[in-house]
Amino acid sequence: MTSDTATRPRVLVVDDAATVRMYHTSLLAEGGFQVDEAANGLEAVEAAMTTAYDLFVVDVNMPKMNGYACVEALRSATVGTPAPVVMISTEDRPGDADLAYRAGANLYLVKPVAGDRLVRIAGMLTAQRGVPA
Amino acid sequence: MGLVRKQAPQAPEEVSPEQPAAEALMRQLDDPDPEVRREAALALDGVTEAVHALLIRATVETEPRVRDAVLTTLAVHDTEEVAGALAVHLASDDPGLRTAVAEALATMPRSTPSLIPDLLAAPDHDIRVMTAMVLADLPHPEAKTWLVRMIAEDSHPNVVTAAIDALLPVATSEHADVLEEAVHRFPGDPFLRFTVQTAVSRLVGTA
Repeated sequence: MTSDTATRPRVLVVDDAATVRMYHTSLLAEGGFQVDEAANGLEAVEAAMTTAYDLFVVDVNMPKMNGYACVEALRSATVGTPAPVVMISTEDRPGDADLAYRAGANLYLVKPVAGDRLVRIAGMLTAQRGVPA
Repeated sequence: MGLVRKQAPQAPEEVSPEQPAAEALMRQLDDPDPEVRREAALALDGVTEAVHALLIRATVETEPRVRDAVLTTLAVHDTEEVAGALAVHLASDDPGLRTAVAEALATMPRSTPSLIPDLLAAPDHDIRVMTAMVLADLPHPEAKTWLVRMIAEDSHPNVVTAAIDALLPVATSEHADVLEEAVHRFPGDPFLRFTVQTAVSRLVGTA
């Protein structure tokens, strides 16, 4: 790892859809973030137990462990990450955002999210933790 | 003194501890202990008379591991009754339930296909997104055709992108046209454009 990558904020993109992961990864990488990917909630929790992420970008509908359960696990005593979580979903039913916030998310966005908006939000949330992109 | 083997009384209706009767197992689906409910659900595999009780439990169960066991057992039946009852939950407010149901329906190739036309026409685009998830894993010869139809005709960009993602693992260069046409139908959607560009470049071997 170069000193450059070591200082860049590290983001975990969690989505079962490969194209969504690629899209969010490319946007965030171009925005100056170091990005890892997970295909479901279980993979995300495993990754979070071994790596200190500065931000999580999490889908809702995923196999094995859905997004809300994933965020609850990230906030649990076992993982206990203080890093901000942005949930992004195709779902915009009444109550979905409340579910996200109850699970421990900091922000709930509905797809599609404009690329510059995602990068801007990621920058703001990680800057609050003292790791600007 | 010789050993005398004592004959245990065996009433005809008596059930051994290893194989509790289906009725007892169905009662255990309501047990307060999640592990008892989970084991009961798995033990009811192949018991036709338990389908109704399992469908009810699938609706009210809040413990993910129990719900997964219930759906696994139900999916084995693969009947239109079961598939139709499960498909209702694709519209559930519970994300765990709707995702688990989508996974279960994808393992029911005999009965799920009969539901697809109605699911593709569902007014709620979230249900159509979930249908793309089902078709992604449904082992059926028409699955690819339905996904192509979603990409070509659905009016919501999130449904189209979900269908594209589901089609990608089995897509060929012959699908490039329908993918590119989707971009023209939703010119203001950057994610859809990215998805199609990624897909098409891979399909034509220029990635």
